[in-house]
Amino acid sequence: MISVTKILFTFIFISLLAITLYAQDSFEEQFNYAKKLYEEENYFDAVTEFKRLLFFDGSNKYSFECNYLMGLSYKYGRKFSDALLHFSIADVQAHTTEEDFACRIEIIKINILRRTTYKALALLDSLAIDPKFKNKSDEINYWRGWAYIFSDDWQKAALTFSEIKSSHQLAVLCDSINNDLYNPQLAKYLSIVPGAGQFYTGEYVSGLISIGWNVLWGYLTINAFIEDRILDGVLIGSLLWWRFYSGNIQNAEKFAIEKNLELTNSALHYLQDKYNGRKP
Amino acid sequence: MRKLLATLFLIPIIVLPQSTSFDFRLPKNIKKFADHLFCEGDYLRAVEEYQSIQNILQNDTINFKIMFSYSNLGLYQISNNSLQCIPGTSKFKCSADYLYLVNKFREDPKGLRVFHDMPLPPEIVERRQKLINISYFYDAEFNFDKNYILSPFNDEIDRQTVSLLYDLKTDPPYKSPALAGILSAVIPGSGKMYVGEWGDGITSLLLTGLFAFLAYDNFNADHTTRAWIFTGIGAFFYAGNIYGSIASAQIFNAKIDFDFSNGLKLFLEQRNYFLPDYDFCN
Repeated sequence: MISVTKILFTFIFISLLAITLYAQDSFEEQFNYAKKLYEEENYFDAVTEFKRLLFFDGSNKYSFECNYLMGLSYKYGRKFSDALLHFSIADVQAHTTEEDFACRIEIIKINILRRTTYKALALLDSLAIDPKFKNKSDEINYWRGWAYIFSDDWQKAALTFSEIKSSHQLAVLCDSINNDLYNPQLAKYLSIVPGAGQFYTGEYVSGLISIGWNVLWGYLTINAFIEDRILDGVLIGSLLWWRFYSGNIQNAEKFAIEKNLELTNSALHYLQDKYNGRKP
Repeated sequence: MRKLLATLFLIPIIVLPQSTSFDFRLPKNIKKFADHLFCEGDYLRAVEEYQSIQNILQNDTINFKIMFSYSNLGLYQISNNSLQCIPGTSKFKCSADYLYLVNKFREDPKGLRVFHDMPLPPEIVERRQKLINISYFYDAEFNFDKNYILSPFNDEIDRQTVSLLYDLKTDPPYKSPALAGILSAVIPGSGKMYVGEWGDGITSLLLTGLFAFLAYDNFNADHTTRAWIFTGIGAFFYAGNIYGSIASAQIFNAKIDFDFSNGLKLFLEQRNYFLPDYDFCN
């Protein structure tokens, strides 16, 4: 026959075990609640609940997950400095190489979005030489390509994406953008013949105006010399003709830069709205 | 022996749940978390948390922190609405009254003056007077005695800063747009030089002079058409140089006003609007 003491001990043991399990659940529940808010894109409240959990959870059990998801919440709220802070904390708290890598990539993505691409590239370089991540070269190249896109270096972006796969969708796109871009230096040198640089960039009216001004001041300068009005010739030539001639060269270069900006902006809009792959 | 072992086994189990079982929604826990957010400077979240326990805990400190948080968030009207939650007997009453005045000042510096006779303790009266005196700097008409403006400021650094602001307000180093225009009319470019834009001034002088010479030379050579073209261009540059000089003087003066406003704002922010240092986070 089982003694009363044994029954009592068994009862107490089971009760305490249940309480223990419930106690573990209260933190887990809080984490799940915060995560649910995050998944519902209620980022402000999600951050509050993650902060609450971190404040009371002395064991730091959820430190990585909370900081990582807070980083993402802040990122989606365009609070990049806060996002960086929490990704950095999450990186310190990472338990596995995968988590460590995920945090570092998020930090890189924030730097790409903030256009501190030199920093993103430096961080990518440090990842590339780290033996822990030697099997992640495609992933590293993928984000390196994005860093080049945001630093407006479409040629390097195309080359980097093609290292993953020669027919990579982004490699093809970047290559096509790079081919469409005007060469500001070429526009400048073509303008040695007034208006030619503007014609190269498709600005025909501006090219014609440039030709007109240069013909006018050129004629007046040459005419002044022919009529022996040397001072007139020198002054018109140096201060007016030269002014319009050099203006024509600067103008052609400016057009090429502006056209390139239009092209790259439309490419970025395409990437933002239509590209379905991973984005920073 | 069995009982002893069982007890030893149960002790950690008893202790463990007490340390990990947790009700995040208990008012005292919400308050602890809100205090943490407040000290972290996350005022928006702190306010939300404080407000969720405001009616349960009935605590003046919480009410004042809500008022303070709203003020730091730039929501001055809402901050001032919180004043009614702080009773006259509260130890935060004086601080809350002064924060109310600071909020009024930050909404509209001149609007503070209607509270000049609001009954307050002496240390707050002095702070209020500092704000009122500073508020005069925002007026277009300013003719106060320097000693009067400086009178509530006892700190030497504050006195020096306010004295400097007073000098800038009473005698700003403006440039006269009329004088700049006249100078440029007499000698092209000299108005720009008067404003300090030497490069533009010299360019104006050279260009206007060049076109005047070309016009004169072409008239002399009987090239009337060309001479008139140069006269027209010269006149355009001459008029542009006068207009540009007047505009430059106006821009210069606007920059003086902008720098003065910025300096004033910086001084007030550095001194935290003369708010006392609260010891909430230590």
